Amino acid sequence: MDYILIILYAVSLVYFAVAERMSKFVVILSMQGFILFGVVFFSLNEIEIFDFVFILTETILVKAMLIPWFMNRVRKHNQLKRVHEPYIPVFYSIIIVILSLGASFLLSNNLQNAQLHTKFFTVALASVMFGIYFIVVHRNIFSHVVGYLIIENGIFLFSLAVGSQMPLMVNLAVLLDVVMGVLVLGIFINRIGDTFHSVEIKNLSELKD
Amino acid sequence: MLGIFFIGAIVISLLIFLVNRRGLTTVLSYVFLASEMGISIYAALNINTVDTRYYSFDALGVLFMMVLAILSIATFYHSRLYLIRHSFTRRQESIYYAALIMLIAAMTSAYFAENIALMWVSIEATTLFVSVLIIHERTKEAIEASWKYLFISSVGVALAFMGILFLSIVATKGGLSDLSLRNLLTIAQEMDTNWLKIAFLLVITGFSAKMGLFPLHTVAVDAHTVAPPPISAFISTTLMNVGFIGIFRVFTIIAQTEVLQWAQHVLLIAGILSIAMSAIQLLRIRHFKRMFAFSSLEHMGLVAIGLAIGGMGYYAAILQIVFHSFAKSSLFYQIGQVHSIYKSYWVKDIGKYFKVNPAGGFALLFAFISITAMPPSGLFISELILIKAMFAGGYAVIAIIILLLLTVVIFVFGKHLFSLLYGETDSTVNVSKIKLNPYETISQYVLLGLVVYLGVAPPAYFTDLVHQAIAILN
Repeated sequence: MDYILIILYAVSLVYFAVAERMSKFVVILSMQGFILFGVVFFSLNEIEIFDFVFILTETILVKAMLIPWFMNRVRKHNQLKRVHEPYIPVFYSIIIVILSLGASFLLSNNLQNAQLHTKFFTVALASVMFGIYFIVVHRNIFSHVVGYLIIENGIFLFSLAVGSQMPLMVNLAVLLDVVMGVLVLGIFINRIGDTFHSVEIKNLSELKD
Repeated sequence: MLGIFFIGAIVISLLIFLVNRRGLTTVLSYVFLASEMGISIYAALNINTVDTRYYSFDALGVLFMMVLAILSIATFYHSRLYLIRHSFTRRQESIYYAALIMLIAAMTSAYFAENIALMWVSIEATTLFVSVLIIHERTKEAIEASWKYLFISSVGVALAFMGILFLSIVATKGGLSDLSLRNLLTIAQEMDTNWLKIAFLLVITGFSAKMGLFPLHTVAVDAHTVAPPPISAFISTTLMNVGFIGIFRVFTIIAQTEVLQWAQHVLLIAGILSIAMSAIQLLRIRHFKRMFAFSSLEHMGLVAIGLAIGGMGYYAAILQIVFHSFAKSSLFYQIGQVHSIYKSYWVKDIGKYFKVNPAGGFALLFAFISITAMPPSGLFISELILIKAMFAGGYAVIAIIILLLLTVVIFVFGKHLFSLLYGETDSTVNVSKIKLNPYETISQYVLLGLVVYLGVAPPAYFTDLVHQAIAILN
């Protein structure tokens, strides 16, 4: 089952490359939240109640519901509908996301480490690479935050890949930091939208030598 | 004890934000400053002990905490002057103080965190609070700089988190699953070298945005340029120390392994490129705060080179970062006073400052001597040790290149600061009639005096702390 979910996650990355509506970005982010819950749920050998509650909060409540809901509000506040001309056409983006998946698949299969769960590692690496690519090719800061969230989801998968077991308090603090970060980024997008009447990155180029 | 301090900081910050009364803000700010001084003294008395489970009072943390405590007092004082001289709303003022208090608490947490993941959490938290302070004036430039700082730092720090996750692979291999620094150091030699290299690259790239080091230094430069002057003073010193401690903690683990030399080469490249970028950019600079920001890049480059050289270089690196904190903050506090008279930070708008404000002019001259590492500045001692270590370590060619680049930095600093002190201004500039009280400059004399005192005749306690901080590397 976890393999199916990992493939679904990879498909969601391709969907990001194809999508041209901002509302679609939010929907895919929410889907990724649900997929991540499934990935964790089916990969656990035994479930302790505290861990389960934490995972449920982190994936379903935060990644699948709270963040997409907030991002949708930001989108509506700034009346964002379609992505206008990314730097690279969609067709090439699809090729690049597939290449990044292929490259991370090949790399993961060549890694010899007993501690590493390569099934998660493949898609985690592809997610981080695609997230950075997503930021680079888009011209508006809303899409940049979506790219940042794709990277964050990739890092979540990395933590599964390396079997990281941090203390619960530390995990909670990490989660709180990420949520606060997204909330502050969203508030800043609104502020930029109100001040510059646009969220295009070209407005933010005054500071130079 | 730290747990109580953090809860206290959150309560004070919330009260200032919610109650929104100037009198209460002042009282609570004093309470917070007193408790922060108390924590730094408590940490110094309980050095090398564990506190609140995930924290530890190590020598470097104690040293940086003392710097933070001293600069917090000066920053609160200059913030008060800054807020009085501008017509901000009460709400803006309360947000300013609440964010500043939380920033100091987050920095304290980063200095003392014994768990690498908790240190990451603290560093990420500093990004959030500092972005609120950078945007304080609500100008278009402030919005741009704070967005860039927040976004690039968040992405950078996320990459650093990946590095920390890779550290946990190597930690698990050594039979350990938690990321406490003490445990990581004990199993360092069993770690997989390839994963360690990737982890270090990610950590240095990610935290370079906080430390203001090449490659992500640009966001720090923009932030220092547009933030209110007391905040620029604070974030170009104590917050850079936070970035340094992030890199330093992982470096101490690497220092126990065979990857050390490789990591030192990475630091050497980052350091040289930082100084070169700084020298090149400074030649084009016409804005005082931007000039100071690029000077911080140069100093962080020297610190990175100190770690890269090893031996006496480690000692020089710690001295350099402490002295830079005091000298650079003085420059930013003073440029805030300059701005209150000339209403500008541009070189073309400011001149004859010595005549307008002799106390400030003298402080600026003293700060110029300090920051360009001329005797009797403590930075002269640290840079001399560093250059000596480079020649002794077989890095003579690099040392000569660095010295040439530093000459460019001194030339640009001298040219613009002497123009500020004695030069003619554009006659159309409207110089404000504000008369500055000479006492406002005392904080800068104290800080610059500290740079001389700690460099020329350092007390035994200070040198012991520096030696303890680098003992794990030697």
